[in-house]
Formats: sequence, structure tokens, C-alpha cells
Amino acid sequence: MRSNLLRFFFSLLLVSPLAWASASNPPQTHEFNLSNGLKLIVREDHRAPTVAHMVWYRAGSIDETNGRTGVAHVLEHMMFKGTKKVKSGDFSRLVAAVGGRENAFTSRDYTAYFQQVEKSKLEEVMKLEADRMSNLSFDDAEFDKEIQVIMEERRLRTEDNPSSLLNEALMATAFMSSPYRYPVIGWMNDLMNMKAVDARDWYRSWYAPNNATVVITGDVDPQNMLRLVQQYYGVISPHELPVRKPQIEPPQRGIKQVEVKAPVDSAQIAMAWKVPRLEPGKLDDPEPYALELLTAVLDGYDNARLNRVLVKQEKVVNDVGVGYDMISRGPELFLINATMAKGKTVAQAQASIRKALEELKQKGILESELKRIKVRILSNQIYKRDSIFGQAMEIGSNEMAGFSWKDIDYMLEKMQTITPAQVQAVAKKYLVDEGLTIATLDPQPRKIQVAKGSK
Amino acid sequence: MRTLNRGLWLVILTLGLIHSAYAILPIEKLDSYKGAKVFLVQTKALPMVDIEISIDAGDRYDPSNKSGLADMAAGLMNYGARGDKGVWTEAQIADEIADLGASIGVSAGGERTIMRIRSLSRKDLRDRAVQLAATMLSSPLYDAKILEREKQRSITNLLEAETKPEFVLDRRFKKSVYGNYPLGNSPSVKSVSSVTVSDLMQFHKTFYRGDRIIISIVGDVDRTQAAEIAQLLLKKLPQSGPAIAALPTFRRSPIEGLSEREIQIPFDSQQAHIVMGMTAIERNNPDYFPLLVGNYVLGGGGFVSRLMSEVREKRGLAYSVFSYFAPGKDTGIFQAGLQTKNDQGTLALEVLSSTIAKFIADGPSVSELLAAKSNLVNGYPLRIDNNRKLLDNVSSIAWNDLPIDTMEIWTKQVEAVTLEQVTAAFQKYLAMDRMKIVVLGAKSKTSP
Repeated sequence: MRSNLLRFFFSLLLVSPLAWASASNPPQTHEFNLSNGLKLIVREDHRAPTVAHMVWYRAGSIDETNGRTGVAHVLEHMMFKGTKKVKSGDFSRLVAAVGGRENAFTSRDYTAYFQQVEKSKLEEVMKLEADRMSNLSFDDAEFDKEIQVIMEERRLRTEDNPSSLLNEALMATAFMSSPYRYPVIGWMNDLMNMKAVDARDWYRSWYAPNNATVVITGDVDPQNMLRLVQQYYGVISPHELPVRKPQIEPPQRGIKQVEVKAPVDSAQIAMAWKVPRLEPGKLDDPEPYALELLTAVLDGYDNARLNRVLVKQEKVVNDVGVGYDMISRGPELFLINATMAKGKTVAQAQASIRKALEELKQKGILESELKRIKVRILSNQIYKRDSIFGQAMEIGSNEMAGFSWKDIDYMLEKMQTITPAQVQAVAKKYLVDEGLTIATLDPQPRKIQVAKGSK
Repeated sequence: MRTLNRGLWLVILTLGLIHSAYAILPIEKLDSYKGAKVFLVQTKALPMVDIEISIDAGDRYDPSNKSGLADMAAGLMNYGARGDKGVWTEAQIADEIADLGASIGVSAGGERTIMRIRSLSRKDLRDRAVQLAATMLSSPLYDAKILEREKQRSITNLLEAETKPEFVLDRRFKKSVYGNYPLGNSPSVKSVSSVTVSDLMQFHKTFYRGDRIIISIVGDVDRTQAAEIAQLLLKKLPQSGPAIAALPTFRRSPIEGLSEREIQIPFDSQQAHIVMGMTAIERNNPDYFPLLVGNYVLGGGGFVSRLMSEVREKRGLAYSVFSYFAPGKDTGIFQAGLQTKNDQGTLALEVLSSTIAKFIADGPSVSELLAAKSNLVNGYPLRIDNNRKLLDNVSSIAWNDLPIDTMEIWTKQVEAVTLEQVTAAFQKYLAMDRMKIVVLGAKSKTSP
């Protein structure tokens, strides 16, 4: 597969594949499935004596219920608050003592924990990570303090950040039934009313080896890793997971609009269309790939269409961005957002965006535009190998969405076969008003003006 | 298949070499060219190369009424250049970068402007990327229409930033700490508006020249190729230029009464933002290591610092709390800060101040010192385990005139730090009656 990829690359660059032998060797990746349901994926990368160790739980805000939004993220914080053997705070102290870097993150689709260490220290941090998979134990007082910290986090990231408020309103408007309508950090009122027992229930429901994938990348021996993972994670008992209802979003039947008033100087607009994602087992569906390429044609580099036309030529917006990710557990949006240029209105920006999309739908895209994007995707396959952490991220996020790490190269190869006509076709089919949600940010002055002389 | 197998052998051999030599990859200093210093780290595991050009042309050289000039001079390099075969438009530059699968970025910081190139290392692709970067660097167009557009964009961004608590806080803090030193000035609508094409031309002519440039290269190139890259980058630039007036002295933060040092900014936000800090040291000061180790204990060590413990773990006052030294070629600053619900501002500031004051007075405990050294020493491999991080290291070593074996001796220097050195260094450079404080958006106090 890799050699096919590179052949594409060379046909694009019109040069011969000399000097690429080393690049054409795919990294060695190994997969093991333990009897308790835990999956282990090891990618060898021997460039430096370091290792990234991650455990991914398939439990994110998509698995939450109304009234307890944010609980996946709350539990992520509580995971540092001690186990039967390790006192609160000692997890971080022990990781720090061996020189490790650690953190955790929660998304709509998953919660993940990681440590990066010099390779001889891996066993010590793995021991700790495996311990908190089944032995978490925190008291109510710890919870009561930590929930305050989480509310501060929400104030910092969302309440005082109008762009986040806009995005929150957009998601909650675009989706009626899908839990993708919940913000990952949770609604403030749900945080205010959350109890330690909510976090403990979440932990008991979802934290199990049969809902987890361990990803290890770096200077390691796969058999040795299997032995360690067996020793520390292999002893943990699996349990039955709660039933996940499909909660398929009903079809949208017309434009939805929402306005957010917040203290900003320039108005913003976000336009989001319901579009398909790539589904496990249907890797040959061309539409998600075409949507990824459409994203890049519109916004993939400095001279891509929207930046060129809207920012540089028409000067109607100050910045524009396009977002779509074909890999996810829940329903996907194709998102265009823009901040107005001085003196321009959201109506003008919307008209310009629509005009640019209309032109693309009518006239299609150039072979040369697509080729440029494909070269970039391929060169990124080399660059991404500079980071073992980035590789672990890629493997883990794909696995959580129901794909295998083995699918990643196939997807890239498939991406290279997409034609301009296919890109045009998805634009015509999906960027239509029936599935569109528009959110606008309406500038308000702050109640108190910034003191004079503060410049 | 045959090709693949041979490739595999090459990789195995290469990896074997890297393994035995890994300890630390050496930095090679190449012959300087047109007054520019050139440094190289060879690492062949991936067919790619990262190149950084540091130009001594940062914001500190902005004239006082033209704050934002250095930034504009750097940013506009992306938007047009005069090449051997005619003009490169902004569209052509962007398309060429994309077609090569490369990236080229330019940004101005306080001390220096940095251009970074990432390219596949194969010669034809690399040559084109370097050639384009050289043209952008040496012969920017500074087109009047594009300048107008970018000024307008920059002003719009600035007005937006002025609605953000963290921006307003930081700008006021910089003014307070840097005083009349140029880094105390921040771009304003007026200063950005006043930038002209001839300002840009003059700035470029004055500062963009060989004797103010350092080139750092990390990746799959040898010495000869690295020297060719450097020569190509510098081909159209002069070696030297007009004399440049010395920068004003950056004076140590003076002892002042609290009312002179502390600034309250009323702001309608849910959180109060608090920062305190003062002048500290330059990177090549021997006290750098005691301060690094000490600050790990105070507020640098992620989840295990004293500030994290006092502010977040014990009291739940903030999500983020930190302290750091930002040493450069110039004297850098020490800074600590947090954000908290706006009615907790007074309490949070008290906890922040008393934690820092106690640390300056008493220093770390024996066990804290050990924990700090243990983290820094054991974690050192993580600071140099890929090309991007190596480039950051080489670049810092080159820019700050550090010994070329800095990466080899780094852990030894950390290990050698004593308790007495940490306490002495903190007491030498920091003092509570010199700390500038800015509090934004706290509810309990009114504007002074």
C-alpha cells in the first residue's frame, strides 16, 4: 500500500522515485488483543530513546445524557485524585519524578490519558495507568474542590470566549437529538449540580479493559510491550458496558439560524451543513474523501479559494476557515466560519461565501487544485513521522471511531483516487440549504470600558 | 520487492548507527558565510529537513511611533517577491509552497524575526523551497496595495484583541515591566496605520543582512548540502549595512510602593485575570540553571508545583496557574499568573503573592529540589527526541551564544545545582517590592 501511495506522489511531482527507499518502508506496527478485551497497538520508532504511552477509553460526551453533560471530562479530572494504593496527587508526582510529561483530554468521542517518558521509565508509568483503570478512589471533598476548578476552566474557555459561545450555540442548534449537541465541558448548570456519585457512576460504566485501547509508540520492543501490558492491564476484569443507543439525528428540513450576542468587536458567521462521515466497513465510499478534499480546496493553503477570494480580493472577511473531519463517532458538519472585515456585514460575508460555493458547484474545480492538495497530504505522511506522539494520536483517534490503524494507509490511498468531478458532486449534493445551520455572533460593547491609558 | 528490501537494509543500518551514537546528536558549526553563522544537526532517519533563519530584526527595533513595523516587514514576505525571472505574486508563492509539499513561515518576535522552512530533503524539492525562501527573504515586494490590505487586517485583529481579557492584561503588563524599553510598546491602530512602504523598505535594508543572521538546519542533509543551503539563502542579501543605534538600557524593575506597582483594570468578564512579574536574567547567565530548577518547584512543574498545589489543588481557585522565566539574549522577565472567578480576585492574588514571597525567602525544601532535578534530568530526552525539538534547541543555543555542547552538558548542569544556589539566585533577581502586578476584571475592587 505504501508503495502505491508513493507512486501517486511521484506521478504528481513528475519525478522518479529515487532516494525514497527509506521513506517507502512503513513503520512497524503490531496489534494484540488481550483476553479481557483490551486492545494493544505498538508502533516501533527507534529514532530516539523515548516512548509515548496512551490509554484511550471509548467514552466521550457523545455517551452523556442531558443533566449530566460534562461528566466525561469531570471524570478525566478525577482520574488524578487517587486510587486504593496511590494517594491523590501522587500519580502526577510519580510521573514527574521519572521525568515524564503527562496529561489527558476529553472529546465528543473519547477520553484519553498519556505519558511521555524516556523508555526505561515506561514500566513505572504503565503500572500507574493500569492501576487507575479499575482502582480509582476519591472522596467527596476532592470532588467538591475539583468541580470548582472545572467551572473555572469553563469560564476561561467558554464563558469569556465569544467564539466558543458561538460554536456551542451552533452545535446545540444544528443537532436536535444527537448528543453532539452537548458541549464537551458541559453546560454550566449541569456542572453546578454535578455530584461525586455522577462521576463515580460514569467511571463504573465505561472504564473497563473491554472499552479501552492502549497505544504505545516509540523505541520499544513489541513482545516486551505485550508482556508488560499483560502483566499490568491483563489482570483487570472486563464488565458489560451500558447499551449505546444509536440516537440517529433526524433529517433536517430547512435552514436553522441562531444569534449570539457577546462582547466582540467584529461580527462572526458560522455556516454548517450536515454531511456524511466515513463509516467503518465502508471505506470505499468516495463522499467523505471528496468532502475532505473540498475542505482543502477551499481552505488548505494560503491561496486556497476562500482565502484568496474573500480575504484578499473582495476583502469582505478578515479571516476564514473551513472544518470537516470524516473520522468521528457522531454526525459530521461541514463548517465554514469567518470574521468580518472592518465595515462589512454578515449578510455580505454570507453572500460572498455562497457565491464562491456556487461557482464551485457550477464550474467544478481544476485538476491542478486537487493535485496540489494531494501532494500536501502525501508530504504530510513523511512529516507526521517526526512526532511519535502525533502518530499515537492518529492511531488512537481512528481506533475510537471504529476504524483500525490498518485502515489509515488505505484511506490515504483512496483519497488519491478522488476526481475533481467527485469533489464537485459532494458540494452540489450536500452544501444546500435543507441541511444548513447558520450561527452569527453579534458584537456588543463590554459594560465597562477598558480604562484609558491601558494601551 | 528488491528495492523495498534494499531500502529496509538501509534503514536498519542507519538506525543502528543512530542508536549507538544517540546519546546526543552533535551540533556542527559550519563556516560562516557573509557574516552569518550556520549550524547543522544531521539526522537521516526521515527524508526531510527543517531550516530556521533567525534575523536580529525583532519588535525591539520598532521605532516608538511605528510599533508593528517589524511584524509587518516579516509578514509581507509571504505576499510578493522579486525573483531572478520576474515577480512572484502572493498567489504564486502560496501555490509553489503547496506544490512542493513544503511549508515556509515568517514571524516577528520580541528579539528576532524567524523564518522556518520544512521540506522533503530530496534535492530538487529542497532546492526549490530554499530558492523561494531566499527570494522572499532578500527581495520582498512590499506592494502598496497589499500593505494597505494587511494594515487593515492587522487593525481589525487588534480591535478584536482589545476585547479579550488576556490580551489587555498582557499588553498592560508588558508596558509596566518594560517601561521605556521598546518592548514596552505594543502596536496600536495609530502606529500600524502609520507604516508606509518606505518604512518597510528601510527596515528591511537596515536589519536583513548576513551579519544579523543565524541559520540552523536539522535533518537529512550533509555538511556540503547545508553549506549550499546557507549560501543560497544569503545570496542576494548584503553582508552588512548601515550602523544601528544602540537600544536603550533595559533597567531592573525598581523598588516601589504597592500603589505604584499594582494596576487595576476594570473589565466585564466572568474571571479576573492576574499577572505579576519583573525583570530577571538573560539566557547565558550562569544563574539560569538554579532559576530553572527553582522555578520548576515554584510554578513550572506542571501539576506538581507549589503554585498549582496552593491555588488549584488546595483551594480550587483556578484552572491554570503558572510561573516562568523567559530569558533571552536580552534580559528576560519572570512572570506568574492565573485566572479566577471575578469575586475571588483578591483572595487569589494573596495566595499567589504569599506563595512566591515564601519561596523567595526560604527556597525549596531538600525533597523538592531532588524532585525537580529528577524530573528535569530524567525528562531531558523528551526535549530532543525529534527534528522539530532539535531545531528549537539548536536555534536557542545559536541565538543565545551558548556553548556548542549545551545539549551534552545540560543534565550535568541541572544536577550540579544546590539548594543554596537556588535560594541565592531567587533572592538576587526577584523581590516582592519590585514585582509589577496587573489585575483585570476583579469585582471586589474599584479602579484606583
